[in-house]
Amino acid sequence: MIDPDELADKLVTTLPDVLPTLRWFGGKDRPINAVRPLRTTPLSDEMVHVIVEVEQPGRSEEYQLIISEHSDGFDATADPDRNGLLLEKIAAGEHVDGITFAHEQGVELRTSLRGRPIGVEQSNTSLIYGQQYILKIFRKLARGENRDLVMHRALRSVGCEHIALPLGSISTELDGEPVTLAMLQEFLPDAVEGWDMAKTSVRDLMAEADLHADEVGGDFAGEACRLGHAVAKVHADLAEALGTRLADDDAITHAIEGMQRRLDTVLDAVPELSRYEEPLRATFEEARQHIGAIPIQHIHGDLHLGQVLRTVHGWLLIDFEGEPAAPAAERNALKSPLRDVAGMLRSFDYAARQLLIGQPDDDQLAYRAMEWTKRNRAAFCDGYAEVAADPRDNTHLLRAFELDKAVYEVAYEHANRPEWLTVPLSSIARMTSGGE
Amino acid sequence: MNEDTRPDAALGLEGVPHTGEAIDDQGMLVEPQSEDFKSAKPASANPSWFKGAVFYEVLVRAFSDSNGDGTGDLRGLASRLDYLEWLGVDCLWLPPFYASPLRDGGYDISDFRAVLPEFGTVEDFVYLLEEAHRRGIRVITDLVLNHTSDAHPWFQQSRQDPTGPYGDYYVWSDDDSRYSDARIIFVDTESSNWTYDPVRGQFFWHRFFSHQPDLNYENPEVQEAMLDILRFWLDLGIDGFRLDAVPYLFEEEGTICENLPRTHEFLKRCRKVVDDEFPGRVLLAEANQWPSDVVEYFGDPEIGGDECHMAFHFPLMPRIFMAVRRESRFPISEILAQTPAIPENAQWGIFLRNHDELTLEMVTDEERDYMYTEYAKDPRMKANIGIRRRLAPLLENDRNQHELFTALLLSLPGSPVLYYGDEIGMGDNIWLADRDAVRTPMQWTPDRNAGFSSCDPGRIYLPVIMDPVYGYQGLNVEAQLNNTSSLLNWTRRMIEVRKQHHAFAEGDFSELGGSNPSVLAYKRLWKRPDGREDIVLCVNNLSRFPQPVELDLSEHRDYTPLELTGGVKFPSIGELPYLLTLPGHGFYWFQLVEAGDDSEMR
Repeated sequence: MIDPDELADKLVTTLPDVLPTLRWFGGKDRPINAVRPLRTTPLSDEMVHVIVEVEQPGRSEEYQLIISEHSDGFDATADPDRNGLLLEKIAAGEHVDGITFAHEQGVELRTSLRGRPIGVEQSNTSLIYGQQYILKIFRKLARGENRDLVMHRALRSVGCEHIALPLGSISTELDGEPVTLAMLQEFLPDAVEGWDMAKTSVRDLMAEADLHADEVGGDFAGEACRLGHAVAKVHADLAEALGTRLADDDAITHAIEGMQRRLDTVLDAVPELSRYEEPLRATFEEARQHIGAIPIQHIHGDLHLGQVLRTVHGWLLIDFEGEPAAPAAERNALKSPLRDVAGMLRSFDYAARQLLIGQPDDDQLAYRAMEWTKRNRAAFCDGYAEVAADPRDNTHLLRAFELDKAVYEVAYEHANRPEWLTVPLSSIARMTSGGE
Repeated sequence: MNEDTRPDAALGLEGVPHTGEAIDDQGMLVEPQSEDFKSAKPASANPSWFKGAVFYEVLVRAFSDSNGDGTGDLRGLASRLDYLEWLGVDCLWLPPFYASPLRDGGYDISDFRAVLPEFGTVEDFVYLLEEAHRRGIRVITDLVLNHTSDAHPWFQQSRQDPTGPYGDYYVWSDDDSRYSDARIIFVDTESSNWTYDPVRGQFFWHRFFSHQPDLNYENPEVQEAMLDILRFWLDLGIDGFRLDAVPYLFEEEGTICENLPRTHEFLKRCRKVVDDEFPGRVLLAEANQWPSDVVEYFGDPEIGGDECHMAFHFPLMPRIFMAVRRESRFPISEILAQTPAIPENAQWGIFLRNHDELTLEMVTDEERDYMYTEYAKDPRMKANIGIRRRLAPLLENDRNQHELFTALLLSLPGSPVLYYGDEIGMGDNIWLADRDAVRTPMQWTPDRNAGFSSCDPGRIYLPVIMDPVYGYQGLNVEAQLNNTSSLLNWTRRMIEVRKQHHAFAEGDFSELGGSNPSVLAYKRLWKRPDGREDIVLCVNNLSRFPQPVELDLSEHRDYTPLELTGGVKFPSIGELPYLLTLPGHGFYWFQLVEAGDDSEMR
């Protein structure tokens, strides 16, 4: 049995040294002034749930840990011998001192499974239980119900077929506001990320210098078409579950101004963009003229090939958190579904050219990449149009969203991956000169 | 009796026992009986032999010619049984060898109780059975239940004597308007399912060619007559039948006349004859349909299946080709996920090549399948999956792909059916008409006629393959027997490995997924009668490029993967995903051995 008071004392002294060594800790950029335990909740004889406040110069953030003396580094979240307890409590729907473990309505869970942490994550910890469930434990806590969970619940309520089903959650309240601690979902062991699927296709094309994109064995158009279909279905399901309305003039103005403002900022940072400034601004303005009354609704918000999974039952969309850098209010705002479409179309461009990055210039391969992009963008739109209006019917708006996204990419690549800067820049060059 | 109207006039069976050589005083045709012949000693008793058997489809005409007339025959086939035994074949599947005018490759049967004279006699067939059984090899053949040739004496009697005992053996009508909802299968050659017969002055019903009238299963005597044909061959010792065109036996107004309940009832009767009188023999359904529809032909799952023991899984074959072309496992994964469970005593037959093909016309529900979006729009897939190509030329003679495809065939769920000649990588001759491209003589030696026949080369039924890549001078059984690294020796070795692990035959199939779409990994798990488990892990790289894959094998923590062809132990499985790397088109077969168990368990 762990003594909570003893534990609190121990955390205060050890955590400032330990936290910076943990992968999920998001405050590695500055020193830790103090760590204050806000709440300790015993979950069993040997496990305690802890929420701590980490004070750093200029900010104070809350994190959660699950402590056990038996575990390495004493955080037991990733300990397969112990983390089965979390699943058991969700299955049983327990309330433990202000922490609510709940399964979704009508869901029955198998227990006595070991949770294996997946290795690739940065800011959270995800456990896979027996190849059936995945529990995503949010490390840094945010006030308000988690958007991913809210969207998944809404989609499940209308029987959406293109998501991994939400199965349960762990939540609590801090200062009277709801806080989502973890989300349990169906795990799909057969799933492959859209990015890897696309990469397989592009690799095949690039190895065949003399065949066109529609002739090679690894053609992706069929998949892209089915993916477009799935995305349109999810949009329709979100509209059914959470409603849709027509954007008013203010909203449109706000959106266009947002694009112009982003452009201002990026122009300051990336001088290479300046020669496209005029046509970019013109495109955004043109969109404003041609928009009319467009429907807006809840959308995915950060859609790209890394946010879709291919399974034997078709394509799924994952991670409805919305644009990672945006504030909560912005992420929850109603938007045009064409933003998601634009995000995916941009992603096709990235997928086609990823193998050219860091390689000597090769016109032939660049031409093939262009062919691949065109073919799969068109196939995606064809699939989307099987369910909803053809996105290409709204050219001005779609183009504005794509260019806005590309401007964002320019900033991102400039700051993080300069060798990739050529991808968004050449797309901007193409689109502003009348190309697709 | 007038010579031309003798019921057996068209058979060409003078001098051998055949149907209609005489007519008894009730007007019934005299038919050969099994007692007239010596029977073969049955194969060893093992009622579930078919679940683990390696089948080998062999055309009697194409395999070996014993009498030098340029056409393969039953005695010739019997003389090659040592080779088939050595290869590891458990059961031969012979397309029809019955008396026939050969207007539909022998599927137009004119006497169910006689052998096509070119192939030999019933006695020769019994000899083949005897010799095969002695080597532990079984033999099944096609039986067409739905129709006969119009040359069959039954039909001759039926058209000439509407009130006689055979008057009601076929489906006759005064007009051609009945059963109008039934589709026409051979739309290229037939304009109606009814054809007028000037002799009887009525129309007769035919789902296939107009020279193949459908038998009238409404008539109990027809049902009995067909059951007696099953008994005739089963008495002689045959190990089973592939029942051809089973969905069409009955007709019913207002239906499409396919898969009707009474058709299933008749199949249950056939099964009962087998179970009661000939246990251990099998029925294999030829229903070229989607697996979810084909399972109906296994019968009631509650009692382990009470219709056919086996059925072909048609869509798997094109999906394997598509998966390798796309370098993605999903075409295969999807079709296996769509394949329903089958009764306990049933088994799929799977194949890479045979003389049938999956027709796209069969796939009606566009929603559930992407055959239309992927397969039909890819001209190369469409042209290549047809029946006119052999495996090796389809794979551009790439040995790695040939091995990968064979490894998939031998490890996916179902009993594998090999097509003769593919074990040596034989080529095809696309200049020959229609399906003859893949029916050229088996290549045994570099000698005259590839050692298939001693006839004058001009007399051979089809020319042997002579091109520089697949020609018999270089590509033949003899040469490959003498070369330990040949495809033939490799294939034999893989069949041998497959047989050492019953998991390949009856093990539960579960796919392992993984983040690399180009790698298809699955597990076959067999619970042995003694309670222990035989677990086989198969990992296949569908891409031409080398690939890594991380597999979640944590369920088998501390087990050791033992590579099955060389016996090499791989690192033990831990909590973390298990990393493997595969060369382009490479594959692995492992047994997962429990910690502390050093022996390879089988």
